[in-house]
Amino acid sequence: MRKCLQLCCVLYFFAPHALHRAIGAEPVAPLVDFNRDIRPIFSETCFKCHGPDANKRKGKFRLDTREGAFAEHEGRKPLVPGDLAHSEAWRRINTKDADDLMPPADSGMKLTAQQIKLFGDWIKQGARYKDHWSLIPPVTPPLPKVKKSSWPKNGIDPFILARLEQEKLPTSPQADKATLLRRVTLDLTGLPPTPDEVAAFLADKSPSAYEKAVDRLLQSPHYGERMALDWLDAARYADTHGYHIDSGRDMTRWRKWVIDSFNQNKRFDQFTIEQLAGDLLPQATTEQKIASGFNRNHMINFEGGAIPEEYHNAYLVDRVNTTATVWLGLTVACAQCHDHKYDPITQKDYYQLYAFFHNVPEKGLDGNLGNAAPVLHFPTADEAAAQARLKSEIAAAETKLKQVEAELPGAQSIWEKERSATTADESHLTLVRIPAEKRTAEQVDELKKYFRDKHYPALGAAKEALQSTRRDLEKLEKGIATAMVMSEMEKPRNTFLLVRGQYDKPGDPVTANVPASLPPLPAGSPTNRLGLAQWLVSPAHPLTSRVIVNRYWQMYFGIGLVKSAEDFGSQGEWPSHPELLDWLATEFQRTGWDIKQMQKLIVMSATYQQSSATTPELLAKDPENRLLAHGPRFRLAAEFIRDQALAISGLLNREIGGKSVSPYQPAGLWEELASREDGKNWSAQSYTQSHGPDLYRRTMYTFWKRTSPPPTLATFDAPDRESCTVRRARTDTPLQALVLLNDPTYIEASRKLGERLMTEAKSDADRIAMAFRLAIARDPKALEKKVLLKLYDRQLAAYHADPASALKLLAVGESPRNEHLEPAKLAAWTMVASTVLNLDETITKQ
Amino acid sequence: MNLEREYQSLLTRRQFFGRTTTGIGSLALASLLNGKLFAGAGDPASKTGGVLPELHFAPKAKRVIYLFMSGGPSHIDLFDYKPNLRAHHKQELPASIRMGQRITGMTSGQSSFPCVAPMFEFTQHGKSGTWISELLPHTAKIVDDIAIVKSLNTEAINHDPATTFIQTGHQQPGRPSLGAWLSYGIGTESQQLPAFIVMISQGSGNKTDQPIFSRLWGSGFLPSQHQGVRFRSGGDPVLYLSNPPGVDAKARRSMLDSVAQLNRMAEKSFGDPEINTRIAQYEMAYQMQTSAPELTDLSKEPKQVLDMYGIDDKGTDGGFARNCLLARRMVERGVRFVQLMHRGWDQHSSLPKQIRGQCKDIDQPAAALVKDLKARGLLDDTLVIWGGEFGRTVYSQGALTADNYGRDHHGRCFTMWMAGGGIKPGISYGETDDFCYNVVKDPVHIHDFNATILRTMGIDHTRLTFKFQGRHFRLTDVHGEVVKGLLV
Repeated sequence: MRKCLQLCCVLYFFAPHALHRAIGAEPVAPLVDFNRDIRPIFSETCFKCHGPDANKRKGKFRLDTREGAFAEHEGRKPLVPGDLAHSEAWRRINTKDADDLMPPADSGMKLTAQQIKLFGDWIKQGARYKDHWSLIPPVTPPLPKVKKSSWPKNGIDPFILARLEQEKLPTSPQADKATLLRRVTLDLTGLPPTPDEVAAFLADKSPSAYEKAVDRLLQSPHYGERMALDWLDAARYADTHGYHIDSGRDMTRWRKWVIDSFNQNKRFDQFTIEQLAGDLLPQATTEQKIASGFNRNHMINFEGGAIPEEYHNAYLVDRVNTTATVWLGLTVACAQCHDHKYDPITQKDYYQLYAFFHNVPEKGLDGNLGNAAPVLHFPTADEAAAQARLKSEIAAAETKLKQVEAELPGAQSIWEKERSATTADESHLTLVRIPAEKRTAEQVDELKKYFRDKHYPALGAAKEALQSTRRDLEKLEKGIATAMVMSEMEKPRNTFLLVRGQYDKPGDPVTANVPASLPPLPAGSPTNRLGLAQWLVSPAHPLTSRVIVNRYWQMYFGIGLVKSAEDFGSQGEWPSHPELLDWLATEFQRTGWDIKQMQKLIVMSATYQQSSATTPELLAKDPENRLLAHGPRFRLAAEFIRDQALAISGLLNREIGGKSVSPYQPAGLWEELASREDGKNWSAQSYTQSHGPDLYRRTMYTFWKRTSPPPTLATFDAPDRESCTVRRARTDTPLQALVLLNDPTYIEASRKLGERLMTEAKSDADRIAMAFRLAIARDPKALEKKVLLKLYDRQLAAYHADPASALKLLAVGESPRNEHLEPAKLAAWTMVASTVLNLDETITKQ
Repeated sequence: MNLEREYQSLLTRRQFFGRTTTGIGSLALASLLNGKLFAGAGDPASKTGGVLPELHFAPKAKRVIYLFMSGGPSHIDLFDYKPNLRAHHKQELPASIRMGQRITGMTSGQSSFPCVAPMFEFTQHGKSGTWISELLPHTAKIVDDIAIVKSLNTEAINHDPATTFIQTGHQQPGRPSLGAWLSYGIGTESQQLPAFIVMISQGSGNKTDQPIFSRLWGSGFLPSQHQGVRFRSGGDPVLYLSNPPGVDAKARRSMLDSVAQLNRMAEKSFGDPEINTRIAQYEMAYQMQTSAPELTDLSKEPKQVLDMYGIDDKGTDGGFARNCLLARRMVERGVRFVQLMHRGWDQHSSLPKQIRGQCKDIDQPAAALVKDLKARGLLDDTLVIWGGEFGRTVYSQGALTADNYGRDHHGRCFTMWMAGGGIKPGISYGETDDFCYNVVKDPVHIHDFNATILRTMGIDHTRLTFKFQGRHFRLTDVHGEVVKGLLV
């Protein structure tokens, strides 16, 4: 019986009634789980007035803790375990008395019959409270027993399969090899496999062929780029400051550090510590200091007339919110103004976190000249040499100045002796004639000033020489590349709770600490950012490992095990597979936070390797594929759509890291928004398109202006990078079709692909096959080939009839056209190639 | 043979979508899409086309045209007439009025705060006898059609937070704009045009203008299809709308037919309904290639209409007049929310000269828009809004001379006007003190203003929400009271 109930509990999430029937004739209500079934109801409908926020609590009654819910209150007990009749809360939700009814009518909320039944069952079963699931540290669960024991390939699969078997859903067959290779190559590198890679994989009949391919991809330098992209969203990376004028900044060294870290497979705990506190590590390396720039990626303001304290506060708020979203998966932002309404985060907790980030020697308004202090400088060799030379020239000029100053009294007395009456005006001559010992102090000063200004040019020259050299140095140093980093002030700032979150309303003083509802800082950890980082990756921490593996899962399957990847609190979603999440989280820690190993684990699973084809029945039952009865199929991210087109066409520049670049963009987009006459005072105000190889770099290097993000990427759901994003939307609009059909990037890629087809394949049929193999790693079916051949014939006839149009089409893009190819044919192949680049399959991972 | 037959069947199925924007093709497409590709989030059962299953109230307005005056127009010199101010000209602003309120870093260092009476004449107009500055002679003629709100107020005192606040309901970035909320909430009436369109014009009065930001028409945490789509003058009205050089409509159609055929085959293999959406997405893009240029082509507008708006070839108004006429054409075609951004209203110095230019840009076209909508019977269910992110100080910024002065930002009160769509015509709402400094009657915070806009659209501002990071967010945050006194 007990076993049955437990099983039922696991099953309950999707279709309680159906499953209950499936269990048999047992009339007992299924076991209600507080965290899965009750907390979401409480959170959504009750906690606003009867939850953690003490200031907004009504009737002094709280329902979020067992103490609050069981204590006698105004002569009645809100909840009496097992006893509906004496549970006041039960009466209140069922009463016909409008004054007593909960939730009250004016709240706009209403419990459903199903929710009321769950609530009643829960009270009857003992009203057992549990701490919120995500705040309880994960424990490695045993692998579930499954019937189809031949299916699992690793630890992930029993969890998925057990659930499917309980739902009586079959798994899907393994995807065909080529599809699988394309899927995993796109997933691990953001680029499509080459036809050679596909051919080699198809030819490798060994059982380890797929694993070898995965290992090869994990070693690719493009793996780091792919992994970095999601991290850039989370870290709100951009190339401009974001507020108001939105001028340029340079955090490209930090971006490169992220890519390199993924490629070197830096452990996730170390990756965390360096980004939150690299500057505080003992003997911190330059790279570790660069890493600390994670929390300088927020927006920065220098709007004229703005109040520095207001923006300094905004930066700190951003750091707290970003850090909490990225590592804790908690929406602490709510506690900026008041205690959190749903989760156990008090306003004091919030400002204790804030205090960790409060000691950076920075200004509230800064950034008008580029990066805002504190920064690290990265002079080139020439710059370093010039800097050294100028510094030594300054030292020499200072010595010279001192010497000239020292010689002044002697020179003055000689001059006085000469009594150069001819050049001195009357009053000063009078002074000279007064014997030195009889002059007043004022007279001495006056005469000295007169001599210095009028008769001692050496001093002015020495000063000017020094100043001019100093100016040269300043100018040189302004041009030296920098990276914004974190550092600590020697004397920390005082931190106060800010009343209602207002920057100018300090309340009680607070000191840095972690939220009381989470484990304390590890013993021996310092109470600073380093301690905070160590705490996040400490074994006792319930959230970090879950939150991170969930986002990895989201990368591959489109939706995390917890769909609300940014919210693991009580308003977040209950995990689709809670035990799998805990298994992955503990596995991640057990393997030493090995990021590559975690990616490998996921892509080696049978779950991941399934075919992505679906059926109407499955769609009806599980439209989002949360049960994973088939493999993932969804549109590629904005960046990878373009990267893929560049790769297929042969245009892609595979350089890693470096400066941001400016590919084709319609004219005037920035300028229409920028300040017109003042614009020249700042960088990133007018768009200067790149040329040559920089036009074809991977899209993650596209210059990201926050107030006018790259338009094609924004159209394909790239976030604005104004604040931390850990889950991108995925929408379909006609504007996306217009981009792929008409953006010069894609027209040029189509032409270059056309050239490849014409020069590398021998027959028209082969050309179409080659286009398919390049774009979607498979051969076209006969009918597909026929459609494209017909299209080719039609376009060819049209361009033969109108050669001028062919030349116009071929002139799109700055890369040279292959002059050996007949323009009408190339134009026709360009259109065929464009067709292939626009296919749903091409822009979809499947 | 089999292959040929299969191919022919593909061609036949193509007719389902058709080749034109009329007839069975577009009807079939519309039913397939249910208006979802542009507005998107709606439940198929929704009566509104958006996420709201039905409107909360009978709507007075079905669409909005928002004439946003970026930079902060001076309410003192245009609408908020205070005859007594003349007596205080050049006198220090009394401390009892300023009450120690925070002011921007641009004037906080000034040693004196001399009041400046406007150097423009005010006269009364219309049956309502509304006082209007001589700078707005055309607006003066529509005073009986508009409601002038003089008691707007905002906490923000700088451009970035203030424009972000009024457009998104929050001073810091990250929230959806008003138009995005409407797109999300009630979708669009147009199958061929976006729900939310933005057009930008450059003010001729002040080239040292304030920057604006795409977040002002962004979707924030809402799905990105709700972000405003920029329509631009010159070149493509919508980015990437035109076929590339050397690709004519026929070539495009035959290419798109091939894309659709191949996509339908993929749909058969994968069973993924996303592929049908993709097919529809391409057909709508094709239709937009016709409908958008048709929309922006003003050549068929009669001369008297062009003249009424004051559209000339010189573009001395920075494009505002043309955008006003386009806005009318957009709402005629069912676009839900049209946002015009006219820049250059930041008169810190040389106010008299700059504001003349700014007013000349906008006065005639804005008035023409109201008249034109009224004449076409569209004003009844179209809400027109005019105004900026804040007002300006009564005291002078910088030197005050006989013919020159400047004014700093002022959020404690400012003026906007509304017309049509269930707004009481011919009224003034709210009052400020003799210094145009503080609201003394019927304050309208921008949350109240936004709540009122939603109310005219039939939406309860507390019930259009989006759950993000565990919280049910709304345009008005936890604030906002509908201003009943503005509603018919």
